[in-house]
Order: sequence, then C-alpha cells, then structure tokens
Amino acid sequence: MKPVAEFTKGILKENPVFVMALGLCPALAVSTSVENAIGMGAAATFVVLCSNLIISLIKNFIPDKIRIPCYILVIATFVTVVDMTMNAYLPPLHKSLGIFIPLIVVNCLILCRAEAFASKNGVGLSILDALGMGLGFTLALISIATFREILGSGTFLNMRILPQSYKPMIMAILPPGAFFTIGLLMGLINLLKKKD
Amino acid sequence: MKNIIKPTLILLLICVISSAILSVLYSNTKPIIEQNQKENIENARKAVLPDAVKDKFVAVDVNNVEEGEERFIRDSIMFYKGYNEDGKLVGFTFQTAGQGYSSSAEVKTMVGIDLNMKIEKITIIQQQETPGLGANCVNPEFTRRFTEKDPAGIKVDKDGGNIESITGATITTRAVTNSIRDKFVELQDDFKKQMQGGGK
Repeated sequence: MKPVAEFTKGILKENPVFVMALGLCPALAVSTSVENAIGMGAAATFVVLCSNLIISLIKNFIPDKIRIPCYILVIATFVTVVDMTMNAYLPPLHKSLGIFIPLIVVNCLILCRAEAFASKNGVGLSILDALGMGLGFTLALISIATFREILGSGTFLNMRILPQSYKPMIMAILPPGAFFTIGLLMGLINLLKKKD
Repeated sequence: MKNIIKPTLILLLICVISSAILSVLYSNTKPIIEQNQKENIENARKAVLPDAVKDKFVAVDVNNVEEGEERFIRDSIMFYKGYNEDGKLVGFTFQTAGQGYSSSAEVKTMVGIDLNMKIEKITIIQQQETPGLGANCVNPEFTRRFTEKDPAGIKVDKDGGNIESITGATITTRAVTNSIRDKFVELQDDFKKQMQGGGK
C-alpha cells in the first residue's frame, strides 16, 4: 500500500471510533466538550506515535508467543514516562491533560495498532499509520463533542453560541448522550459508505 | 525447553529495562513534582484568603494547641492562620478532602475562612472527576457558590440545602460540600481559640 494511503485510511475509511469501534471508552468519557476532545486526541496521538515507533523497531527481537505482554509493557512504560515528565516540567499542561493519561492506558486503539500494524511494518509506515489513526481518533472525538457540547451546554470551545435563553439539554452531556451521538454518527458513516 | 527459556529471558529483559527507565525518571522527577505541588498549595492558600500575605501564613498544629488532650487521631498540621501586611490576623485556611465520583483520587479543597466564621473563598486543588461533568467543580462559577456561606450549615440542594449542585454531578458537589462542613465543624473551636488568643 502507498504511504499516503496508510496515513489517510485512519481518517475515514478505517476510522478507529466509527468504523473499527476501538477506543470507545475514552470516546464516551471525554467527549463532553470540544476542549477535552482535543486534549484527549492529542495525548492519545502522541502515545500511539511513540508506541508504534518503538514496537516497529523492536519487532524482530520479540518472540511471537510473548508479543502481547511486551507491547503492553512498552505502552505502559511510555504512558508513565509521559505522565511523570509532563508533571515535572510542564505542570500547566499536566493539569489540563493529566486526567486523560490514565485513560490512554485503557485505550485499546494503541494496542491494536501495535499488534495489527507496527509489528508487521517498518518504522516509516508505522509512524504514518500512527499519525493517521491519531488524527482520525481526534476528529471522531471532536465531532462527537461538538454535538454534545452545543446541545448540552449551548457552547462551542467554551464560547456561548446559543442564546442565553436556550435551556441546555442535559442528557447530551450525560453518558446516554454519548451513546446516542456515537450511534447516530456511526449509522451516518455506514450510510455514506454504502452509497459509494 | 528452548522455547520456554528464550521468551522468558526476553520478557525479563524488557521488564528490567522498563523498570530501570521508570525508576531513574521517578527519582529525578519526584523532587520537582513535590516542589510544584507545594507551590500550588501555597498559591491556593493565598487565593482563598486574598487579604493575607503569601509568606505570612502560620501553620497551626492542633495537637500542640491543646496539650494533653487525646487528639492523636487527627493529622499533624491542621490549618493555617493568615496575616495581612500589618501582621493582623485576617482569617484561616484549611484543606479538606472528600470521596467524589472518581475512585482513584479524592476531591481536595482549600477553604478560606474569614474572622466572622464565613467562607471567604474555596478552590479545588486536586480532583479526577469526570471531564465535562464533575470536573466542572474547578470553575469559579461553582466555587463562587460557597462564598459568604456559613460553613457549618452548607448542604447540597438535593439534600435540602443551600449549595446549588453542578449539572449531572451531584456526587462531586456533595463530596466538596460535606467535606468542608465536616472539617469546619471539627476545627471551629480551635479557630475561636486562636482569635481570642490575640491572633499570635
């Protein structure tokens, strides 16, 4: 496959949230506002990039039988490194992203890319794959969060866009709102794909 | 046999490398992280008692205030006295914590009390509540709801009280409110004693 295709496939064709249904737990939890969505997307992109990079480098060294524990170790080590470094040297960023770091460990998107892609491809392609998947994940979170934030708080990126008289639809920022939004967007994407 | 030993050794090697990286990083970042947290708490103390001067806070260890009384159950430093430029007592600050919705971390609050025993301001110094719901407790729109309230009488509106809860996060609101009230009730006699003692 061409390098460009490896990058773009994550955005729509193999979108991690809407098509592969991966990483739904963080997608449900942090899509209450666009600001959170961008934070989570950026943090997850960074980790998937680094884990893909390292795993594609050491893939020949790891025996097949123990690859999953090895990947998990690499990912967990990396997440902890990011957490501690950020906490020490970039406290303001850690304060706003800190909550997402424990959620990245449970993001199966990262393990999936390690297992399905980085362990079978070279460093360059793995980086492109990680960037595409990270971007697709971020865009998916932003699109869910846009719906939920506008309906649930009447704001977009904390700026009020609906008039003060609008009574927020609280359900949109509660968990059911996330399920409804993801379901509707998934259906929409399937519909568009069928038409092609 | 070879099939067992080789993977085991490789996994061991990776574990050793990860642990080595993490332990070196941990010992290097720990002092910096602690320093950051200390500064955060000092800033929070100043933020909840704006009349006081930042480096003129005095720690009060309740265990020493009442010698001989059985108060060993409490933590050591209990609250701080805040003084203004002229060295006059302007109020007290204390930290409190309550279990919110997140199981991994309590909601920690810094509370400032003025000399009329009303809440001056509060600020949330640590929380891991749900982003977009409970995490909104750090916003001034929420913390403002406590100003001028009598800390001994605050209650969440869902419990028939006077603190309006955060949309979709009654548990977080309750954790903050109840932890402030309980800690204040525990400490209020000591505050009064400090005030009668002339403030020094």
